Amino acid sequence: MKPVVEQELVQQVIGWVKENGLNGARHTDISESTNLLESGLLDSFAFVDLILFIENFTQKKLDLLDVNPEEFTVVKGLCTLALRNGH
Amino acid sequence: MTEQSSFRSLIHGFLESAERFSDRPALVVDGECLSYTSLREMACRIASAIQSLQRDQESFPLVAVWAHRSKTAYAGVLGSLGTGKGYVPLNPKFPLERTLQMLALSRCTVLIVGKECLSQLAGLLKAVDRPLTLILPEVASIQEMPSQHSLHQFVFAEHLPSLESFSFKENSTSASLAYLLFTSGSSGVPKGVPISQGNVRSYVDYISHRYNVNEHDRFSQQFDLTFDLSAHDMFVCWESGACLYCVPEKSVMAPAKFIRDHHLTMWFSVPSVAGLLSRMRLLSPGCFPTLRCSLFCGEPFPASYAQSWQAAAPNSIVENLYGPTEATIAIAHYRWDSQMSPQECLNGIVPIGQVFEGQQFRVTDAEGKCLPFENAGELCLAGSQVATGYWNNPKKTQQQFVHLPWSNNHLWYRTGDLVKQDAAGNLCYLGRMDHQVKIRGYRVELQEIEAVLRRACGTEQVVSVPWPVHNGAAEGVVAFISGVKAFDEHRVLARCGEFLPDYMVPKKIYLVDALPLNPNQKIDRVKLSNLLEGAA
Repeated sequence: MKPVVEQELVQQVIGWVKENGLNGARHTDISESTNLLESGLLDSFAFVDLILFIENFTQKKLDLLDVNPEEFTVVKGLCTLALRNGH
Repeated sequence: MTEQSSFRSLIHGFLESAERFSDRPALVVDGECLSYTSLREMACRIASAIQSLQRDQESFPLVAVWAHRSKTAYAGVLGSLGTGKGYVPLNPKFPLERTLQMLALSRCTVLIVGKECLSQLAGLLKAVDRPLTLILPEVASIQEMPSQHSLHQFVFAEHLPSLESFSFKENSTSASLAYLLFTSGSSGVPKGVPISQGNVRSYVDYISHRYNVNEHDRFSQQFDLTFDLSAHDMFVCWESGACLYCVPEKSVMAPAKFIRDHHLTMWFSVPSVAGLLSRMRLLSPGCFPTLRCSLFCGEPFPASYAQSWQAAAPNSIVENLYGPTEATIAIAHYRWDSQMSPQECLNGIVPIGQVFEGQQFRVTDAEGKCLPFENAGELCLAGSQVATGYWNNPKKTQQQFVHLPWSNNHLWYRTGDLVKQDAAGNLCYLGRMDHQVKIRGYRVELQEIEAVLRRACGTEQVVSVPWPVHNGAAEGVVAFISGVKAFDEHRVLARCGEFLPDYMVPKKIYLVDALPLNPNQKIDRVKLSNLLEGAA
């Protein structure tokens, strides 16, 4: 299977948030620097669903135990972690 | 000895710790660590400002604190108590309309403002038509502010009085107000619950003794100050000279790293946090070795969460606390036991256990008659932790605070919670008797959401339903409306967001031809829930 590259994952995440996000996510500009929680696009429950989506897409488990939340709540940070930490 | 001289007020508890543990850390917030001496000094300067400006209003018992996870928030609470006044927490995360409502209902004229609220301050001041005194302990003078808002008086950081000019008032009595909190109200207006110093003192004494709190403890501070469970964090912690660790907003959702980085020993949150951490696989066995006491309160506690937390925190006791705001923070507890407890759970939910020693409870029917053991009924509470009524709301007070026919002179608070006592004597929570729900631990009256929706949609036919519900806890609300041909969902949701906190704004609104009715011709909420269940 072809490895997932970060930019592809970023686009997948943005697409997922537009589809499943809150507060008019569909009509919101979302970039790789968007903080998904502070922007109100996701609440904590939707964020967990996003993680499950990412894990399914990358086929890797995300380990967030010792990661700063400001890192994993931003689109790019989350995607970098998903491809770096996963196993 | 008079009550006045023998009563140990909340500020007295803090000051005694500040005396005994002056150099020890009292508060870690926003990346800064304040010793007991530093926190005392900041509180003292705020208290001095309140007192010097309020000579003409000496008798008004409350000061509002509009601050969030900042030094001002905590020093503001202590400063208010230090003048013998209670505090009214306001929340910059709430819509401005709601904050204005709370400010008006409380009738406060003194407002302590954190720097984190500055961006909203002009909007608030424009909407208030009575003079306020604003104390901004962390904000240097803003020249244009007083001229643009000449109705109001401002005390900026450099104007705070010096330390020499003030000594704390320790003359609070048991009946003095400690805080006034607003909960969701079924009429569409938030409901004020005044809690006295005596109510909180009973709680703090009981809990401090039960958990053997000491100056080496490190407390989490996860709750917003508008949630009464925050009073546990502050006052139990400072009573014993321990340190309070304010969880930054960015870590509130996933505080695992925060717990580990700061070696916390005392944890207190709603069970949803445990659920989230579990779903994010952040509750790995043994990952919180420093915790010795893990408390959960505010909503039903699923057994699976208790099990996961216990494994993650093997050196900690895990307890489910229960209590409505009207009974001061919590009034019943149940200690999780990995061997025994799974059999004692009802519908997979941890029991609420035993009412605190010294407090009283009864399980009653609709007429207020006591029910036999193991019968389901309404939980009624009485005792030193129970409030005496709502803030300026005699009608609602009369409904909920009652003298029961068999009880001499005791004032009982009817919780509206349906419970039954099991064979082991543990109380088990079965649900609500009305349309109140808990969302992420916040008390929500569905009627309040519906009142806003009616105005926003222009139809009377609206209903809100807690959804989705996992392990007995609601994660949000969705709404159904009828009686209009079309509506702009985005606009209606934005309108809801102007009046309701985010956890009360519906996640989705469905337009239906007609709202389903049950045989009693009431809106059939169960059928609507089933519809959602089917769609999921």
